[in-house]
Amino acid sequence: MTLLRVKDLHTHFISRNLDNEIRIATALNGVSFELSRGEVLGLVGETGAGKSLTAYSIMNLLKPPARVVGGTVEFDGRNLRDLQSDDMNSLRGSEIAMVVQNPRSSLDPLTRIGEQLVRVHTAHSDATAATARARAVEILGSVGIPAPEERMQAWPHELSGGMAQRVLIAMALMNEPKLIIADEPTTGLDVTVQAQILDLLRELVETRNVAVMIITHDLGIVAHYCQRMAVMFAGRIVETGNVNSVFDNPAHPYTRTLIDATPERLRDLKHKVHGGGAPPNLYNLPTGCHYVERCRFADDVCNDPVAMEEVGAAHFAMCSHISAVRDGWLS
Amino acid sequence: MTEPLLRAKMLTKHFVTPRTAQTVKAVNGVSFDMFAGKTVGMVGESGSGKSTVGRMVVRLLKPTQGSVAFRGQDISLLPDRAVRRLRVDLQMVFQDPWSALNPRMRVKRIIQEPLLLHSKLSSSERSDRAEEIARSVHLNTDLLTRFPGELSGGQLQRVCIARAIATNPALIVLDEPTSSLDLSVRAGILDLLQELRENTGAAMLFISHDLGTVRLVSDHILVLYLGHIIESGPMNKVFDEPAHPYTQTLLSAHLPADPHADLHRHLLDGEIPSPIDMPPGCPFSTRCPLVREDCRTALPPMVDIDDGAQRAACIRIPEGTNQVNC
Repeated sequence: MTLLRVKDLHTHFISRNLDNEIRIATALNGVSFELSRGEVLGLVGETGAGKSLTAYSIMNLLKPPARVVGGTVEFDGRNLRDLQSDDMNSLRGSEIAMVVQNPRSSLDPLTRIGEQLVRVHTAHSDATAATARARAVEILGSVGIPAPEERMQAWPHELSGGMAQRVLIAMALMNEPKLIIADEPTTGLDVTVQAQILDLLRELVETRNVAVMIITHDLGIVAHYCQRMAVMFAGRIVETGNVNSVFDNPAHPYTRTLIDATPERLRDLKHKVHGGGAPPNLYNLPTGCHYVERCRFADDVCNDPVAMEEVGAAHFAMCSHISAVRDGWLS
Repeated sequence: MTEPLLRAKMLTKHFVTPRTAQTVKAVNGVSFDMFAGKTVGMVGESGSGKSTVGRMVVRLLKPTQGSVAFRGQDISLLPDRAVRRLRVDLQMVFQDPWSALNPRMRVKRIIQEPLLLHSKLSSSERSDRAEEIARSVHLNTDLLTRFPGELSGGQLQRVCIARAIATNPALIVLDEPTSSLDLSVRAGILDLLQELRENTGAAMLFISHDLGTVRLVSDHILVLYLGHIIESGPMNKVFDEPAHPYTQTLLSAHLPADPHADLHRHLLDGEIPSPIDMPPGCPFSTRCPLVREDCRTALPPMVDIDDGAQRAACIRIPEGTNQVNC
């Protein structure tokens, strides 16, 4: 069952320059994807590709000058873009929860973590403080925090990075969300702790049937923890499909470059990695494919609009030269 | 065997916290050698003392105990004035290129600065040399007149590397040089480092927690845990046949970017203990799946494995019972 259906989402940063002319940075240019319960989707791409912006646009958490200017976000049968801010508030933190990259800065440093967990719960339900407390202790225990009863009294600064990330996940779970958006949940954590956190997320998917969207630039996480992946470039999803299918048969030249640039591939690879370069100018994007300036297969056709094309079972890519890229990549 | 370019012996660094006056035992008796043209990769979790060791190697920090012999001369006790002359040969590249460069200096001046301090080149020679260096790190020479704020992360890291190699140093410490960069940009920087090592013959100390990257660039690996080297050896040996239980679990937690790779994971509980409150005996004994009573009594010595190229500090190794079920 599809839980989240994002269709043709456009987000722009609209500002004025010194001459008072309107300037528009087209940061998201028609992002579409679906996510079902019990599924983990990995959203990858380089800095500035619009990964986090996609999450913030879905959650309706944008601040000016950023604005969603088109598209629909359908969550559990409702279009989130039509919701009043009160309704959206009651959805956020209860049905959709977000786990952000820097756990320390997203906890209130002046409130004990137990109190923060209780607040999240009482804000979204009629539960009494006592039941909320009991639930907080239970959830803290279930995310692998030892001695949860005592930890309720801890201040955020007393927690290590891994523990703080667990508290944040516990906070996300307080209201039994249907969807968890994890924005770089393990960046900055050590590999051993990273594994613990990711295992915890996977367990939640299996036991509670939640849907998870992991935003990351670590292809190792995508390869081992996600079922489907979507590769973003300059505000568009340029390739999407099952993880195995995309890793085995990447169709878009950008996806290929990304996979070639992982340390594992670099070791086996004889040729150099092509295609590193500056991201395109969001104020003046190419008319057709956004990757045209960095692509070695680019020609005149690439300046025409491109569409998603099916390149395999449930595997789509946005490129006009898919067969040429496949045959000619190594040359 | 050739003389090492740099020999660190029983390096120790303890910091005392202000107010509470507790001792943070960041590095505890670290010894290793570095050779010209070779890269030593240093891995470990945050808090294991990686960066502190790197800073002691280039004498940005004075060790509490132990010595750093560079070309046979102990530099750990030299007065700061004398160290300054050594900076020609000892350079460092930092993790975050955005904060490592003076935002009000143009790129060209940033690259020239070490030449100004350490060479007697005239200003036009310096300028030529800066352009030459910029080309050798594949930095477009048009960018030389820009300010750091106008450059991308990958370009900035190239500037940092250019600055570090300007004086033709014999040894470069790279503290997480690629962890703040995007994948495809990172590949370019790693390529560049490889090229420089071949062209300049500099010894490199590559500090990183990204096991994939370390594996790619290093000849020799040091594994740090709570300020102790718990395993050291040639890159292939350590990655293929890790001996210490910590190295085994650390490597097993790594996620290769390949969905078909088999994961034999053995996950550790908990996190690295605080270096203020060190466990007695083996530093890893609080998390080790193979721990037994005598692990907690004394610090295990480094023992040779096979021919002694690989060494690890675990009392189970001589008995052959050091394999964690991964």
